[in-house]
Amino acid sequence: MSMRLDHRPGEVIDRQREFTFTWNGEEYPAYGGDTIISALAACGERIFSRSFKYHRPRGLLTASFLDPGCMVQVDDEPNVRGAHRRVEPGMVVSPQGVWPSLEYDVKSANGAFGRFLSAGFYYKTFIKPRRLWPVYRRMLRRFSAGGTVSASPAQDYFDKRYAHPDVLVAGGGPAGMAAAVAAARAGAQVLLVEEEYELGGYLRWGDEAELAALRALREEVASSPGIEVMPNSVVEGRYDDNWVAVMQRDLSHVEERLVKARAKTLVVAPGLIERPYVFEGNDTPGVILSTAARRLINLYAVKPGERAVVFSANESGDAAAEDLARSGVEVARVVDARRGGDIVRVKGGGKGVRAVECSDGAEIECDLLVTAVGWTAPTSLINMAGDRPVYNERAARFFSSHLPDDVLTCGGIAGDGTLEELIEHARATGGEAARRAAKTARRLRGGIPLESEAPPAEISELPLYEHPALFRGKTHGIVDYSEDVTSKDLVTAEKEGYDSIELVKRYTTVTMGPAQGKLESVNAVAIMAETTGRTIEETGTTVWRPPYSPVTLGALAGRIFEPVRYSPMQPWHEIRGAKPLVAGAWIRPDHYGDPASEVLNVRENVGIIDVTPLGKFDLRGPDVPKLLNHLYVNRWDNLEEGRVRYGVMCLEDGVVFDDGVTGRLGPEWYVMTTTSSGAAGVGEWIDNWLQTAHPGWRIHVTPVTTAYASINVAGPKSRELLLRLTEGVDLSPDAFPYMRVREGRVAGVEGCFMWRLGFTGELSYEVHVPAAYGLHVWETLMQRGADLGVGPFGVEAQRILRLEKGHFIVGQDTDGLTGPYDVGLGRMVKLDKDDFTGKPELAWQSEINGRLQLVGLQPHDGSLVPPEASQIVEGESEIVGRITSSRMSPTLGRSICLGFVAEHLTTPGTKVVVQLPGGERVPASVTPHHAHYDPEGTRQRG
Amino acid sequence: MILLPCPYCGPRNVSEFRYVGEVSERPDPNETGVEEWRTFLYTRNNPVGWTTETWFHSAGCRQHLIAERHTMTNEVRASRLPEAQLPEGQEERATGGNVAGDGGGAIY
Amino acid sequence: MRAPGAIKSALGAVMSSVGPYDRNGSTNGHKPYRYSAFDLLRHGFSQADWPRAWRRHDPKSSYDVVVVGGGVHGLATAYYLAKNHGITNVAVLDKGYIGSGGSGRNTAIIRSNYLTPEGIRFYDRSVKLYETLSADLNYNAMFAQRGHLTLAHNDSSLRTMRWRAEVNKLEGVDSEVIGPDEIKKLVPFMDTSEDVRYPILGALYHPPGGIIRHDAVVWGYARGADALGVHIHQNTEVTGIDVTGGKVSGVRTKRGDIATPVVVNCTAGWSTLISDMVGVKMPVSTFPLQAAVTEPVRPFLNPVIVSGTLHVYVSQTDRGELVFGASVDPFTSYSMRGSLEFTEGLAGHVLELMPSLAKMRLLRQWSGLCDMTPDFSPIMGVTPVAGFFVDVGWGTYGFKAGPVSGETMAALIATGKMPDLIAPFSLDRFASGSLMGEKGAAAVGH
Repeated sequence: MSMRLDHRPGEVIDRQREFTFTWNGEEYPAYGGDTIISALAACGERIFSRSFKYHRPRGLLTASFLDPGCMVQVDDEPNVRGAHRRVEPGMVVSPQGVWPSLEYDVKSANGAFGRFLSAGFYYKTFIKPRRLWPVYRRMLRRFSAGGTVSASPAQDYFDKRYAHPDVLVAGGGPAGMAAAVAAARAGAQVLLVEEEYELGGYLRWGDEAELAALRALREEVASSPGIEVMPNSVVEGRYDDNWVAVMQRDLSHVEERLVKARAKTLVVAPGLIERPYVFEGNDTPGVILSTAARRLINLYAVKPGERAVVFSANESGDAAAEDLARSGVEVARVVDARRGGDIVRVKGGGKGVRAVECSDGAEIECDLLVTAVGWTAPTSLINMAGDRPVYNERAARFFSSHLPDDVLTCGGIAGDGTLEELIEHARATGGEAARRAAKTARRLRGGIPLESEAPPAEISELPLYEHPALFRGKTHGIVDYSEDVTSKDLVTAEKEGYDSIELVKRYTTVTMGPAQGKLESVNAVAIMAETTGRTIEETGTTVWRPPYSPVTLGALAGRIFEPVRYSPMQPWHEIRGAKPLVAGAWIRPDHYGDPASEVLNVRENVGIIDVTPLGKFDLRGPDVPKLLNHLYVNRWDNLEEGRVRYGVMCLEDGVVFDDGVTGRLGPEWYVMTTTSSGAAGVGEWIDNWLQTAHPGWRIHVTPVTTAYASINVAGPKSRELLLRLTEGVDLSPDAFPYMRVREGRVAGVEGCFMWRLGFTGELSYEVHVPAAYGLHVWETLMQRGADLGVGPFGVEAQRILRLEKGHFIVGQDTDGLTGPYDVGLGRMVKLDKDDFTGKPELAWQSEINGRLQLVGLQPHDGSLVPPEASQIVEGESEIVGRITSSRMSPTLGRSICLGFVAEHLTTPGTKVVVQLPGGERVPASVTPHHAHYDPEGTRQRG
Repeated sequence: MILLPCPYCGPRNVSEFRYVGEVSERPDPNETGVEEWRTFLYTRNNPVGWTTETWFHSAGCRQHLIAERHTMTNEVRASRLPEAQLPEGQEERATGGNVAGDGGGAIY
Repeated sequence: MRAPGAIKSALGAVMSSVGPYDRNGSTNGHKPYRYSAFDLLRHGFSQADWPRAWRRHDPKSSYDVVVVGGGVHGLATAYYLAKNHGITNVAVLDKGYIGSGGSGRNTAIIRSNYLTPEGIRFYDRSVKLYETLSADLNYNAMFAQRGHLTLAHNDSSLRTMRWRAEVNKLEGVDSEVIGPDEIKKLVPFMDTSEDVRYPILGALYHPPGGIIRHDAVVWGYARGADALGVHIHQNTEVTGIDVTGGKVSGVRTKRGDIATPVVVNCTAGWSTLISDMVGVKMPVSTFPLQAAVTEPVRPFLNPVIVSGTLHVYVSQTDRGELVFGASVDPFTSYSMRGSLEFTEGLAGHVLELMPSLAKMRLLRQWSGLCDMTPDFSPIMGVTPVAGFFVDVGWGTYGFKAGPVSGETMAALIATGKMPDLIAPFSLDRFASGSLMGEKGAAAVGH
């Protein structure tokens, strides 16, 4: 049955473009410009979904984005607003949450039991027996609403953009358009955002005069330079300092784009939302709002029914009645609320409206009831701007009470008036918005307000017309269509003690559905007021929270940028098949296939490892020793030129924060290294001290982590290898001993420095090369050392090597409470230094007992490696320590560990009990040193 | 997203900055017992209203600054260089070393 | 029946208070109304009104105990004072409606897989209380023990997960580390491939963890406490606390002054404000914590998912909505307006884990206030002001501790003896340097 009308003057459909799409498994025709629902309504379809709780059939109500009964699944996209989304050729649309079918839904049996499913019924039942609750719960979950997401990864493309408009106008109706034009004429850059596909608001479905006004306004917008129009886009939120989120949906190359605008002034002009009326049967398919009727007829040329009753309290209802009559719908009766008329109930069923019962007792057969009882002001954006809207009884809606300077309103949210009055007010508002934006622009540039600055514009207030306070009739009906909450539910909840609007909202879930209260909120407040005998103002509203309308996660995420860092040697690592290890921002080679043989090669020959991620700071100036003394627990003012020292840093709470070596390369030149993950924190820590406490210290700090590529050359043959490619450095043990630093040329590269240290426990040189030459030096080392057996080693081999040597790693062998005295470094702490970070805590630590101590541990069964984090236990389940690091040592051919143990277990040789993750308990012994290998350090000093 | 006025760069998105914490006077560690030290480390005024705090312009000029912010509205009414850098404060006063506990749920 | 004069001094009085009270606390209570399926049927047929879940009163001029804060902590404290200790002359004050603070704003995740034995024992008791709560309160709080997964994206977090698992096992709490294959089985939507920016190396799986209907917990406790005679005063903001001779003597409110020897600070967000009224300084910084919810879709996600590295946690309610949380905001504030940065970051991280959710829509975001302490553990117990008790500093983990906090705080107030479960959380641990080790594993450990 076709409900399509002949050509309408304001229609948005393109009759030249006809195509088909699929709904509920069947093919339907549509025109370009149709929404999913208008196309279906044109074919006589009236039921588009089933309600959430009672599974009642639902049709269209608002014929707009908000329409709660028109949520559909489009392909793999759930919860599509069918009354807003334009239908496309071949689109596959299905109803949501129905079983087995839209026409016959088994769960609609719930409707019959509705009387037992009062608000909050689930809190009162399924309590005992407890073991059955999971069964009930699974049953309840079947009733969850919404569409279906599929597990296949989405291929959609989303984007983001920044904007800095002087004036951002939220709403492209007549007021928004007029404000935008006025602001642009005053010299402002304007962003005009409209939720629907075209500008115009209610003028679009209006009469000839309104259509003429629409054309004029559109022409003004189009001819005003400085206005960017975003149709089919929504202002989703206004955050602090006018940070405004706009979801742009009109682009062809991306699904959606999040525009983040720092608006100097925000003009809120969303228009008004028509309010449904609460009465028995008000959710029956065929009960629609006057604006819905007008949209269907005038925009889509769809006849909403055959025989109608119109319940009207305002001009919109009257105009709808005229539209209906003009489009061949028999208007059986206009019930005029202004003359005391009222609707009692709608009778109908699965197919929709059958009859309307009026308050004078008349029962009128019809298939359509159009209601026009009044308007809700969408105060979301002004609410987000910190305003608490107040209720005006005369106008029967909420208005702003106190707006910040950078937010203005115009249009229906600001008052009533003729179209001319509203446009005049909007023009004044737009001009004032531009003036304030210019003032803000000067302030942001640090400028002084101009003497000649234009005075604030006089914006005369809009009149407020008297609107009837019509919320609920004589019967109870649906208040929240998405949540199936009735007015009876609200009354019941209030009587049960959920007697404030916030409690009743939470108890009944009213306003918590996809429309977020834009349709339901004022009715809910009014019914609460009626029940409690308070006024609507006293009852208040719930807080409107962002977003204004639901936004996709994809758009919020945008394209995901997660920066990673690679060393200059990365191409080499990749070619050699290094297994990547994610280490914070860095991607590093974990190993090149066999970490154990990498270890043995370091012990027997020579290995090279890429340690570029080490944090590095170039420190210059006469006061560097003061800084080092301040940051590290040990002493630095006596470090001689050419020497390197290991240091431990604590924060003010005495907890180990970072460690590394720092070398003195010149009289006033030092290079500090930190852990890779600690580099950023240490840098900030240095800045903090120098800037807030000691700006007088003469120190220049340069972070040079990525300025140098760093290579550790380790193993008994490392000297021999470096001899072949180093110039300007005497590498002999006497000239360049352990813990010394030298500058020189490596593989022909100037500006390198190297120091000798012993993280691996072998003779080793850490070579720092200007980053651009990192790959060159690395490759040269590999080529020139081929006969020495040089090989690369990765992080895993380094972890084994350092564990064999007993070196702890901050963050692995320490935790959020570990002090230097707990890891055997108490002797480093120089409490006689004047002032250094954490000194009082460290002084305290030096005197207390009873804390866990880090020790070396070896399981008695050398073939068994207790997983890291295995607990050390006594008795039944008392925890007396834990394994912090463990590996199989290729060098020693047995398992080795570091771990914390209670103080009474620290004596070398003490047997402890390790509980493995499987529950098995195995013995291990405390070793004399942290080092399992070469505890005397003869190899690294060689 | 509030705008935080950096004394060097002007008003910038707060996401460019790292919050360091309430400004509190660091006691002289040589004159301070550990309990008093811990009061400095851990106790905060945490006021409802105006507060003076240290921020770090980490994605900007990498300077620390002092801001006066209202904790209910997040309005920032003033910002300046750290006290130690002010002309009249030439003597070194340690006011910014309170990085011990603030910063909320950051992972350490 | 309260014996006049029984309350002599703050602590002393409360310690000896059990005697004069009727053990069942029914003296000034009313007969509790039982909810049942039968009742639901009866009301369905008769359409008669249900009785009020809790009653309204004018504040009395004095109470034995005044609890400040009508969230789950305050109401549970009042409930257990009445139920376990017979102390029924108790008022719970809230400046708004009950559950309007953190109790109604959290993401309702329940778990006990903490890191330290002290933390685990404490939260395990809470989980046990939650398991029987619906029956105990005759109010279905809809606890769904769907399991809880904490993902590890790098070696060090995997090590921390194993650490937690091992300590949990020793404390008798069900936790284990599982690998990507098992994770995929539990959450088919999870991207467990290796070539992503933050590959999933494993997870701590905690089967008893789950989610609950947070408001129902608040209402259930309110109803239970009311039935035992506790007065619940909503819209009753505290403006001052009187201290006489180092002891609490009364509370000033916007609805009049109330004499009392015992005040319990059970507020979150505003705990500094209340403690400042008696001059007790706190190691507390208040940060907003934001959360968000999507539109409902058909159920596809059973367990609760947490990723510390990505700062996100996700669960799907029985209604079909996804509930998201993250770590606290980057700076202190009492503003609860929320930010766009939060939803942007959140969405990005959710899609890292489950890329196929790109077209799900975020419906609503909101904020609550979290009182963070330096060691990510609460502050519970006595203060230097006699009669002023604190149950504060709950950071991002307060809701899951509601029942056990109420039970232990009630025991402390009633008996004067510090329950072992909360001894580690005393205020003086900061001065004595006995901070809790949860700091090591805090992250976003929801």
